[in-house]
Amino acid sequence: MKPHAVPPSISVIVPVGARRAADIGALYREYRTGIAATGAAHEFIFVLDGPRPEARRALEALLREGEEFTIVNLTRNFGEAAALTAGFERASGGTIVTLPAYPQIEPGDIRKLLAGLSTADMTIGYRWPRYGNALDRMRRSAFHGLVNFVTGARLRDLGCGVRAMHRKVLEEIDLYGDQHRFLPILAMRLGFRVNEVPVRQSAQDRHGRIYRPREYMHHLLDLFSIFFLMRFTKKPLRFFGMLGAATFGVGAVLIAYLGLDRLLFSEPLADRPALLLAALLLVLGMQVFALGLLGELIIFTHARGLKDYRVEEIIQYPEAAAVSDSGSDSLPGESTTSPEMRASAPPAVIA
Amino acid sequence: MSGAKSTTLVGNIDAAQRTASAVGPALSVIVPLYNEQESVRPLYEAIVQALTGLGLSFEMVFVDDGSKDDTVAVAAGLARRDPRLRIVKFRRNYGQTAAMAAGIEHAQGEVLVTMDGDLQNDPADIPLLLAQIEAGFDVVVGWRHNRQDKLITRKIPSRIANWLIGKVTRVPIRDNGCSLKAFRASLIKRIPLYSEMHRFIPAMASIAGPRVAQIRVRHHARRFGESKYGLSRIYKVLLDLMVIKTIASFASRPLRWFALLSLPLFALACFAFVQTAVDVLLGGEQAFSLPIAGAGIIFFSSGLILLCSGALAELIYARGDVRDREFLKLTQTILAGPRNPEADRAL
Repeated sequence: MKPHAVPPSISVIVPVGARRAADIGALYREYRTGIAATGAAHEFIFVLDGPRPEARRALEALLREGEEFTIVNLTRNFGEAAALTAGFERASGGTIVTLPAYPQIEPGDIRKLLAGLSTADMTIGYRWPRYGNALDRMRRSAFHGLVNFVTGARLRDLGCGVRAMHRKVLEEIDLYGDQHRFLPILAMRLGFRVNEVPVRQSAQDRHGRIYRPREYMHHLLDLFSIFFLMRFTKKPLRFFGMLGAATFGVGAVLIAYLGLDRLLFSEPLADRPALLLAALLLVLGMQVFALGLLGELIIFTHARGLKDYRVEEIIQYPEAAAVSDSGSDSLPGESTTSPEMRASAPPAVIA
Repeated sequence: MSGAKSTTLVGNIDAAQRTASAVGPALSVIVPLYNEQESVRPLYEAIVQALTGLGLSFEMVFVDDGSKDDTVAVAAGLARRDPRLRIVKFRRNYGQTAAMAAGIEHAQGEVLVTMDGDLQNDPADIPLLLAQIEAGFDVVVGWRHNRQDKLITRKIPSRIANWLIGKVTRVPIRDNGCSLKAFRASLIKRIPLYSEMHRFIPAMASIAGPRVAQIRVRHHARRFGESKYGLSRIYKVLLDLMVIKTIASFASRPLRWFALLSLPLFALACFAFVQTAVDVLLGGEQAFSLPIAGAGIIFFSSGLILLCSGALAELIYARGDVRDREFLKLTQTILAGPRNPEADRAL
C-alpha cells in the first residue's frame, strides 16, 4: 500500500464473506463516493474472509486501475467478527466505519452516521423505511424484541452492517465468533454511547432473503451466549446456581412427597417410577451447581486479568496548590487526564 | 486537628507534594461515590479535618461509579484546589465492588482505608484504624456497634448474614457490611476483587491469612439521599458465600471439595445397591425393585461425574495464574533461620 499524503482520519473496513455483491467494484465506487462526500481523508480495507477468488480478481483489477486500498486475505473462513478484527489491525484512522460487502443502504447516507459521532461513541445504521412483507417484519420485530428484552438495549436493526465508531470502541472490544451482530450491545456494555441513525435502504437490498432454520438457531444461540456473557461472566454461580437450585428443589419436593406417602399411607416406595424422576432431578441439580462452581474457579484463577470496570478519566490537579482559592470557577472539562488513564483501559477486554 | 486550619492545610499540601513526588503517601482514603452530590463536600472536609494534624501524608481517591447527578462536578471542583484528591470516573455504573477495586488499584498509599460515600461512616475513626495497622494487623475492620439503620430490613438480615459468613469462612467478623476498613496496601492489592465481593473483602483477604483486628466505629444516620441497598440480597449472599467457601478453602485442592459434595450421592447409591442385593439374595431374580436399583445407578454415576468435575477443577487451578504461594508471602514472617534475600524480596 502506498503511503498516504495525509494520514487517513476514516478507515473503512469491508469484510467480504460468502454473502457479497455480484459486482464488488461497483459497490466500492459507490462507497467511495459516499465517504468522499464527507471531505475527510480515508482509507479502504477489504478483508477477504477465506479464499474468495472472484472478489479478489475484481479488487485486484481495481488496484491496477490506480485505486488505493488494502486487501487482507484470510486463509479460511474465520467469520465476520474475526474479519473485522483483522481489518481493524490494519486501520490507522481515528474513526472506523464498517460496511457490508453487499448493498444495504444508500451510500450517500454514510455521512449521517459520521455526523452522529459528535454526540456518540458509535452510530449504527437503521434502515428506514424498510422494505419487506409482513412475515419479514414479524420475524425482525420478534428477534429485536427478544434481544432488547434480554440485553436491556433499544435497537431496531442489528442486521445492518453499516456502523461508524471512534477507534477506542474497537480497541476495547474483544470480538470473536459471530458477535459482530451484537457489536453495539457489547459497546454499550462497556459504557459507550451508541445511537441509531436512520438511513435509506438500498434499492438492491429490497428482495427478501429466506432464512433457513439453522440460521434461526444460530441467532438464538448467539443471543444466549451474549446474555450469559453480559450477566454472568463474573458470577457464573448466579446462573448455574439458579438453574441447579431450581432443579434440585423440584427433586427434593418430589422425594419429600414420596417419603411422606410411604410413612403416612404406607404406599410402597419401591415400585414407584416417580422415585427415579426425583433422583434424576436431584443429581441434575447438583451437577449444574457443580458446573457453576467450576466456572467460579475459572474466574478466580484468572482474576488477575479480569477488570470489572472501565475508567473514563482520572481527574487530578497536581499543581492545584499553586492555584489559590480565589481562582475563577472554570469548567471541570479542563481536567488533566493523566497517562494512567490509558494504562487503565487495556485493549483486551473480557466481555 | 487543632491550630489554625488554613496554615496547617497549606503546610500539609507541601509535605504531601514532596513525598508524592518521591514515593506514595502514607495513607490513601478510598471512597466509592454513586449519586452523592450533597455528601461529597462535607465528606471531603471531614476527611481533611480528621487527617490534618496526624503528621502523615495522605491522599483521597474518590471513585465515581457512573453517577447521574453532579457528583463528579462537585468533586472536580474540590480537586482543583487540592492535589491530594484524585477522582477516578467510571464510564458507567459498575457497582460497589468494582468501585472499591478501582480505588484500591489507583491508590498509592502504603495503608488503604475504604469508607462509604454517604457520610454514615465517620472519618474521625480513621486514626483508630491506623493505630491498629501500626500495631501489626494487616486488616482492620470497623464494627458499627450502634448502627443507625432500620432494624427489620437492615440490621437483622445483616446479623444473620454475618453469623453465617463467620461460620462458613471461619473469619468471625461481626460486621462485614461496614465499609470503614483499613488494609495494608501490599496485601489488599494482591487480593482479587470482582463480582459483588465487597461484602466479603475480609473473607476474601483471608486467603492470605492476614492478621485481622476489629474495632468499634461510629455510625451516623443517613443525612442525604436514599439508601442504595435492599433486602432482596439473601439469595445472592448465599451463593457468594458458596463461592467464597470454594475459593478460600478449596481453591488449591478442588478435588477434595467435589469429593465432599459427591459423598452423599455415593452413600445413597450404596444404600440402594445394598437394598437391591438383599432383595435379590432373599427373594431371587425377580424380587428386587427396579426404581430403587435405578435410583442407585443414577446416584452412583452422578457421584462419578462430580469426581470428574473435581479433576477438571484441579486442571483449571494448575493452569490458572492465581496461586496460594503468592498469598502466603503477603503475610509470612520468618521467625528463625538464615536470611534468604531471594525469598525475602517483595512480590
